[in-house]
Amino acid sequence: MSEPASPAAPATETPSYEGALIQIRDVRKVYVMGLTEVHALDGVSIDIARGEYVAVMGPSGSGKSTLMNVIGCLDTPTSGSYKLSGTEIRDRDDDELARIRNREIGFIFQTFNLLPRADALHNVELPLIYSGTPSKERRERAREMLELTGLSDRMHHRPNELSGGQRQRVAIARALVNHPSIVLADEPTGNLDSKTGVEIMALLADIHRRGNTVILVTHEEDIAAHARRVVRLRDGLIESDRPQTVRTPAIPSAAAP
Amino acid sequence: MAQAENLKIALDAIRANKLRTVLTVLGNVVAVMSVIMVVAVIDGVNTYVGEKILEQGLQVVTIDKYGLITSDDAYRDAEKRRDLTLRESQALERRMRLASRVVAQVDAVKRVRAGRTELANVQVRGSTAGYDEVGKFEVTEGRHFDASDVERRRAVTVIGSEVAAALFPVADPIGQSIKVGGHQLLVVGVLKSRGNVLGQSQDNLIVTTLGQFEKMFGSRRSLTILVKGTPGTPLERVEDEARMVLRAERHVPVGKPDDFGIATAETFRALYQSLTGSIYAGTIALVAISLVVGGIVIMNIMLVAVTERTREIGLRKSLGARRSDLIGQFLCEAVVLSTFGGVLGVVAGIGFALLVRVVTPLPASIQPWSVLISLGVASSVGLFFGVYPATRAAELDPIVALRSE
Repeated sequence: MSEPASPAAPATETPSYEGALIQIRDVRKVYVMGLTEVHALDGVSIDIARGEYVAVMGPSGSGKSTLMNVIGCLDTPTSGSYKLSGTEIRDRDDDELARIRNREIGFIFQTFNLLPRADALHNVELPLIYSGTPSKERRERAREMLELTGLSDRMHHRPNELSGGQRQRVAIARALVNHPSIVLADEPTGNLDSKTGVEIMALLADIHRRGNTVILVTHEEDIAAHARRVVRLRDGLIESDRPQTVRTPAIPSAAAP
Repeated sequence: MAQAENLKIALDAIRANKLRTVLTVLGNVVAVMSVIMVVAVIDGVNTYVGEKILEQGLQVVTIDKYGLITSDDAYRDAEKRRDLTLRESQALERRMRLASRVVAQVDAVKRVRAGRTELANVQVRGSTAGYDEVGKFEVTEGRHFDASDVERRRAVTVIGSEVAAALFPVADPIGQSIKVGGHQLLVVGVLKSRGNVLGQSQDNLIVTTLGQFEKMFGSRRSLTILVKGTPGTPLERVEDEARMVLRAERHVPVGKPDDFGIATAETFRALYQSLTGSIYAGTIALVAISLVVGGIVIMNIMLVAVTERTREIGLRKSLGARRSDLIGQFLCEAVVLSTFGGVLGVVAGIGFALLVRVVTPLPASIQPWSVLISLGVASSVGLFFGVYPATRAAELDPIVALRSE
């Protein structure tokens, strides 16, 4: 969001993967369950450049959640290498991972995950609290983000006073407030009706247009259709990885200026 | 993470679960309340005893048949002792070099009448001369009776202000006569009021000569002998000399214990101090138990809070909260919780102390140190018992926590 007027048009260009934002090489993740080993990721290699809009798809058990957790630095690979902005993630300790999540990753969840007793503004401020931003600046930046996601008149509402779509807009504002390198959306429309879902996808498209890297995890083809590149996983392996041209969103961007 | 933020989270949590919070901190409430209450009351008793009891008798050695009785057996043994007699009192007077005054007296509770007015339960005291000096009595009207009155066994009396007011509401009591045990006594003086001690009036008494008392109620009562030391003599030395003289007079063999009780205000003070000491010890035990129980309850409820808010913890971790942030958050909550209990305890304790002050004669007073110490300890309980739940919260796996319902 640092260059709000960026007129990026990544859809037509092939992104350069030299020194890409995300460099994943032969990543494996093995869970031991009782006596059996489960290979959630079985040697995945993928590069994602800054400014891309990627959908990660696959049936349940395909490893897409694990891949998302690895990309989001919630989990570390058993083997292989994951470099985010050139830094190796694998050997980081808990506190370093927390710091990376705070600065580099903006999570958007299916179930929104807002604090029920805090108003919208305070929910958006949360990441800034953990980055040690002074309270006045926190307030200012949270307010900007809520304006951007179209909630300027709902700042002091609590989650239970907001509709599902509005809650997800609060969550998106929260994901963006610390200017992360990656916006990581896990089934962001899964708990919304289809009309609201379309609005949220339009908002994500808008966020991408402003220069953000967006990674979308979904199992719905309709939702994945918004992305410029689709990665399909099956049994812990990448099954396919291809760019796609985007159909014009059904509804013009709701939050476009 | 900013402490202000942690404080806000903690206060929010307390606001969201008011009843649960109050029940959780009950242990701390009881502990803090007990400390403040007991300290306030004991301090009140100290002041009271110091002012009303100890100072009055400070310069006198008291000798009687029983002494300080602390058990049934001691009482039965004391019962078998020989009575103290006037002869022994006179021997003390004659042979002690460190005594400036030796007074023998005896008390009984009797009816007293003047005209048609009768008072039951008046303390009637027979005494030798000098009762005023050893008992610090003053007259507001008339005079004290003196040695010649005592020698002639005169039927004269000095009456307490309460008795005077009851029997002679309008007339001047001096020169009037009152009737006790079938004898007429001439009122020669009225004593200055001494108020109450432990709820008991000090002015509901009359004093007459020892000889007259024995005429009325017989002479088969053991006397109490009061010895006042010469000016500047330490009371222990007066006590030692009195003991020596009396043992010789009563032929107590060397190596045998006294067959009489001898005490000074110091004796009472020592007894009293051992008493307050055990009260304090009892309080500390009660407080310790309350704090441990309270701490465990707080720990439990914090574990519940961690479970309830697993998802929140997962979220906070995904947004960049470090372990130390979460430990800080939950520790702060535990400390706020237990301090909140402490504050309730302070309020309850102060309320109780004020109540004691209003409804009893004890000048119970709140000691700031007791408030500070008990609050401090109550907060530390939260800190101590909050460590485990906070660590549990910090160690949650964010992926698992986010997935929890």
